[in-house]
Amino acid sequence: MTEEENGSPNEAAKPQPPSSSDMQYYYQFIYPFKQIFNWLNHSPKPGKDMINRELAMAFRSGAYKRYNSYRSVQEFKSQVVKANPDRFEIGAIYNKPPQERDSLLKSEMIPLEKELVFDIDMDDYDTFRTCCSGAQVCGKCWKFISLAMTIMNTALIEDFGFENFLWVFSGRRGAHCWVSDKRARALNNLQRSNIIDYMNVVKDRTANKRLALLRPYHPHIARSLEQLKPHFTAIILEEQDPWRDDAHAMQTLLPGLHDRNLIEALSRYWKAHPGRSSKEKWSDIDAIAAKELKISRKQEFINRLRECKEDLVISTLYPKLDVEVTKQTHHLLKAPFCIHPGTGNVCVPIDENFVPSKAPRLIDLQSEMELRNHDISKTSLQPFLDAFQRQINKLVKEELSNVKRDREEDDGQIVDF
Amino acid sequence: MCRIISTLGELHQSLNLINHSSRQIKMFRQNKKRISSRRHFSDDNSGSQFIMGQPGSEAERRLYDKIYESKLSFYELPPQGEITLDQFEIWAIDRLKVLLELESCVARNKTAKETETIVKPLLQKLLPFNTDSLEDKKKDYYSHFILRLCFCRTKDLRDKFLRAETLLFKLRFNMLTSQYQAKFVQSLDLPMLQFISEDEKMELSQELYQTISPQLQFQLNLTDEMQRRQYFQNERFIKLPFESVIDLVGSRQVFLKKGFAYLPQFQQLNLLSREFAQRLEEELLRTFQHLPHLNEDDRLIPILTHLSTGYTISDYQQYSHEFGSDAQEGEINSQNVYSKEISSNFPLCAKNLFSGLQQHHHLRYNGRQQLSFFLKGIGLNADDALKFWSEAFTARGGNMTQDKFNKEYRYNFRHNYGLEGSRISYRVWDCRTILSKPRPARGEFHGCPYRDWNVDKLTSELSSMKLTSTQVSSVLESCQKNEFTIACTKVFESTHGQTGMEVDDQTHIAHPNLYFERSRQWQKKHSNETE
Ligand code: SF4
Ligand SMILES: [Zn+2]
Repeated sequence: MTEEENGSPNEAAKPQPPSSSDMQYYYQFIYPFKQIFNWLNHSPKPGKDMINRELAMAFRSGAYKRYNSYRSVQEFKSQVVKANPDRFEIGAIYNKPPQERDSLLKSEMIPLEKELVFDIDMDDYDTFRTCCSGAQVCGKCWKFISLAMTIMNTALIEDFGFENFLWVFSGRRGAHCWVSDKRARALNNLQRSNIIDYMNVVKDRTANKRLALLRPYHPHIARSLEQLKPHFTAIILEEQDPWRDDAHAMQTLLPGLHDRNLIEALSRYWKAHPGRSSKEKWSDIDAIAAKELKISRKQEFINRLRECKEDLVISTLYPKLDVEVTKQTHHLLKAPFCIHPGTGNVCVPIDENFVPSKAPRLIDLQSEMELRNHDISKTSLQPFLDAFQRQINKLVKEELSNVKRDREEDDGQIVDF
Repeated sequence: MCRIISTLGELHQSLNLINHSSRQIKMFRQNKKRISSRRHFSDDNSGSQFIMGQPGSEAERRLYDKIYESKLSFYELPPQGEITLDQFEIWAIDRLKVLLELESCVARNKTAKETETIVKPLLQKLLPFNTDSLEDKKKDYYSHFILRLCFCRTKDLRDKFLRAETLLFKLRFNMLTSQYQAKFVQSLDLPMLQFISEDEKMELSQELYQTISPQLQFQLNLTDEMQRRQYFQNERFIKLPFESVIDLVGSRQVFLKKGFAYLPQFQQLNLLSREFAQRLEEELLRTFQHLPHLNEDDRLIPILTHLSTGYTISDYQQYSHEFGSDAQEGEINSQNVYSKEISSNFPLCAKNLFSGLQQHHHLRYNGRQQLSFFLKGIGLNADDALKFWSEAFTARGGNMTQDKFNKEYRYNFRHNYGLEGSRISYRVWDCRTILSKPRPARGEFHGCPYRDWNVDKLTSELSSMKLTSTQVSSVLESCQKNEFTIACTKVFESTHGQTGMEVDDQTHIAHPNLYFERSRQWQKKHSNETE
């Protein structure tokens, strides 16, 4: 846990909270309303996916205004510019435009669809994160998030067959995933919570809570373990090195072994040889087990130990997702390209190679705009806008072919009938 | 497309069923003798695909033979034919009894096996399936549709019906031979029930085995790896969109690939019952949406309401034939009702009345009635009853004279035995009747303690009856859900089960006298065997 060894705790640029006139400028001149509109609408022509879509605005004062909806890009932009919120959030597509809510009975407003969303936060890794603490984040600990993205991507594609999803930087130390496939949007609450249960292998990242995973591992877990293993050595054992701290090792490493004798032998050994690195301690486990313990049914014991170690890899590195965000169709989540009110970072679309220091900040964009003749395409935001546009194009194209296919099927049915 | 027609058909049919039966109800009022006269459903649908047929006709027989070819039905097409008002009511009530029993089993946390043991005899008696009788087949078919009408009106009722029917479906499916199971599945012709090819299974064998191995171990008790491999060798897998088996996704009991779930055949019932429930839910909603038409016919509403709300399975008259038979004449008299031997068999409501009577040497009207009928039900004859009441009311500590008793109360008690007035021998009260009376005020002791007592009082009473704290909280939980008779049944089970001597009949208790009879039987059997 020594700071010198782990380098400077924060490589990212200093936070620059934006003022409300900064926000005004951003909405007026930079925010990609049209793209966001199309992305949520799944078509350039305004349809119910956007017209009936809830947007909520959050204000500096703490006020939160729900059930806004907009019929066009122009209305969307002018309303947001006028209200000038800190940030705004995206909710479900309802059966009716949410802005008409006041004239309707509450029970008449039914959320029908929404992107399937996931939320990962650095908080969940704090037990094993030594490079930074609290709100800080650097390139080293961001690897936790990148790895989580890798695991999730594989499961979304390979297991669920989803193709259109987007990761978005949350602006400080987390990431959101938006799955826009038609099939994902149509999921009901029960289906969403089953998916989050499927994904959330680790419910509680503390070693004394046994994982309770059945053996053999489900293929999704087995595959995730293989993906995590190499990073476990690099990130946990070498880079973060959380167990060099003896007390921490006793608390978070030993209980995961679930064997009283072995745990006692190891803690004796580490008391006698304090300050051994995580990597050394990890191999101490096997060494002590082999030497100190005379177990009659050795093979079985070795198997059990291996399983404990596998569980430990999973429980330190497997992504833990926020259940509430995913579970319900009507839940709201911050829109891409908002400005994080604390850091001034733009919440840009990202991939696994992203690090937070690459995120454009509003203050930088403002000066770039001034220097480059107010041409957004010359700013550092442009590559992110391009990536977003590619995503939208793919989505809209897919959507069109869906519609076409549906229509053909309908035709077919009519003939049939 | 076919679906829509059947929906409309159902609507039409439901209404036919209603009109039909209400006409008969009307006739019933005008002329009781014509109850069993048969009436035809309106016949304007001839040529469409409803279930048709003259009663008892060869066509009808063939039709039901076909529907029940594989013994089970998803109840897809509404029935069309004719039934009598008698059949309408009896069939519906018989099915309801089965469903209520199933519900009670769920509330009492019975396992699937226990539920089967408990419900099977009832099923055999009231709703036999797996038979060749046309009458039984029609009964099963019609009763399902009649109850759809009764239970479609609120979400709670729909959920209740859905749960119980799905359970019944599962239960029956499990009672079929595997040959008929396969036949049934085939008959459903579900496009989603596609088995994967041997090649695909080979290709994915590692993943598939990994996925089902823990289930084979813990659900099918195959503890040995060899056994599990063997089982896997022969197991077939169904491939379907993951949404269709979503409850198995969260628990990772299926292997997922590119949006498809691979379901082992032994989990197939899961899928079938889901499909069953889903379809039924849609149909119930649809029936409900068209029910407003019913309001025009206020004669039918009371019947439907009666069936769907208060109805419980108690029918003591019927039970007393079965249970009361060995209650010997004169076994119970005005003295020994107080004895431990007898009173230890009382349900809580009767205990409560006794302690109220002993405290006050008096009971107010509803309390008198409730206890008087209960005592009549356990076999206290009219003479002894009068003796019992007069002694209780005039006993030391009270201030009533024999004279006053004779003047004011004698008539009332004799009346309850059918010895005065209209000379009707009144039925003993079941829990539903008890629960339908006004709640007891201060100083009154009638009613049902599971409803009327507060948590503290109930808890201390139950603890003094030696229920463990888990049992107590399970009882309280039922009380909270307004399931008082289930609470009472749980108490019975907790106080009559631990000796290792099982009670033969584990059905739901919804009658204080059934509680008594069963407890007494158990007591006798118990003392015989320990002697
Ligand atoms: S449930 Fe019935 S038998 Fe039990 S206490 Fe209540 S009224 Fe009496
Ligand atoms: Zn860091």
